[in-house]
Amino acid sequence: MKKPESSPFLVLIILIVSFVLLNSCGGVPEENSTSATSEGNVFSVDEVLEMVSKENDVTRTLYTKAIVGKGKLQGMKFDEDWRKDDVEAGPLPALFLRGVATSIRKGPIPLGLYLGSDFPINNANKFEGEQEKLFEEIKETQDPKFFYDESQELHTAMFADLASAQACVTCHNEHPQTAKTDWKLGDVMGATTWQYPKDSLSYTGALDVLNAYAKGTVDVYVEYLDEIAAFKSSEKPIIGEKWPEDGNYLPTPEVFLDSVRKLSSYETLKSLIASK
Amino acid sequence: MGIFKVSPLRKRQFWGGLSGLALGVGVILFLSLKTSEEYVSLGPMNNGHNEISCAACHTDANGNLSQQIQSNMAHAFGMRENGVDFGTKDVTVKNCLECHDRPNDRHPTYRFSEPRFRKVIKKIDATTCITCHTEHNGERVSVAAINYCMNCHQDLEVENDPVNISHVKLIANEQWFTCIQCHDFHGNHRYNVPTKLQDTIPLKIIQNYLDGGEDPYGKDKKYLGLSEPEWIKTLQKK
Repeated sequence: MKKPESSPFLVLIILIVSFVLLNSCGGVPEENSTSATSEGNVFSVDEVLEMVSKENDVTRTLYTKAIVGKGKLQGMKFDEDWRKDDVEAGPLPALFLRGVATSIRKGPIPLGLYLGSDFPINNANKFEGEQEKLFEEIKETQDPKFFYDESQELHTAMFADLASAQACVTCHNEHPQTAKTDWKLGDVMGATTWQYPKDSLSYTGALDVLNAYAKGTVDVYVEYLDEIAAFKSSEKPIIGEKWPEDGNYLPTPEVFLDSVRKLSSYETLKSLIASK
Repeated sequence: MGIFKVSPLRKRQFWGGLSGLALGVGVILFLSLKTSEEYVSLGPMNNGHNEISCAACHTDANGNLSQQIQSNMAHAFGMRENGVDFGTKDVTVKNCLECHDRPNDRHPTYRFSEPRFRKVIKKIDATTCITCHTEHNGERVSVAAINYCMNCHQDLEVENDPVNISHVKLIANEQWFTCIQCHDFHGNHRYNVPTKLQDTIPLKIIQNYLDGGEDPYGKDKKYLGLSEPEWIKTLQKK
């Protein structure tokens, strides 16, 4: 029987056809690729984290002073166990921030936000390792610290978290589990840690980060209002345009966010324009 | 029609080949049926996942097979930034959280991404669900040892400690197995914690629960994971 001869020409045709088939479809489009956007990256990650951190400062101060501080004077309660069914209270400022962080992580923007201290109420929030070392420097200068977390490949920034309202000082000094009882207004009580995977961002990228933070603020505030709606024995504040300083009132999420934007927009806008 | 004419010397091979082809197609069709998923699965589903179909977690990867090969080859030669999933997408924490995310989670996975947990996550990687809940094992919790609290709570002190043997003493005695006798890791049960250690849930019953048995903390939970139809509804809303 005659053995069929292999044809180099046939092999070549098969190879060419395979190559064309493999390449003609264009592959799967890259997701989250810096090269995928025609918009150039104009902000370093440090600049964006600084911007969002300033918005966080404004939000936290507003929440602590205008909601928690004034709300307590109206008889409103705020508790670390605010989510428990038998506790009719709102989130303390640190837990408000944790709620914001949780909401951000549920969204598509890969922004990490954490709060820690060297004298936290909950020991699990105590800084360790590199963060502990950097926090010592932050306490001295109040300047932010930036570093690259190689193990997780994340750009990381730490910003001082100040005792900006009397409510911070009083609650922390009087808390049964506090490790420090002599906090004063203006003290560096802790630091927020922020993480982001890329080293630079476009205008859209920067706005996405700022919007993710703002959405987180609204989400946790709405959760607080939902808890109030489920109160059984406590008096429910009236939700509307007014703030606790006017009586037993709480602003709607829109009114709260508007106030944050009014207070923070100038600084943020300045940073956005400065990069032009 | 000479094309269908089979050589008398090749009849055995022809029918063998045809039978093999029919069998292969039949097997593929059979395994594609929803009722056959148990034969495709790597093992029995974990507790609460028995009614979930494979496709709920194992969704098709982006692109067709040819595109996926091309993209991964391009990535291998440094011609694109990222490779792509091949066949089905990797199952990630995001998939789990689509049904199990809840605001009251005491230990949400994202918190452990913070740099200060770097050493801890080398011992127990709490940034991902599968460290403790490996799927296809027919159980609830797959973590090797339930003394994991020791990794973060060595310095715990409870003011006005209500327990007859204080938390400080339990920690000093390295009785880390006692934590779970009162506290479930994710804190979702509405459970009145006893104040006497002898009244806490015995370890044997806890172990039975982790293996997939009855829930000793009770059935009263603040949030419940979504069923597959409920999860699909959330997708339709998006």
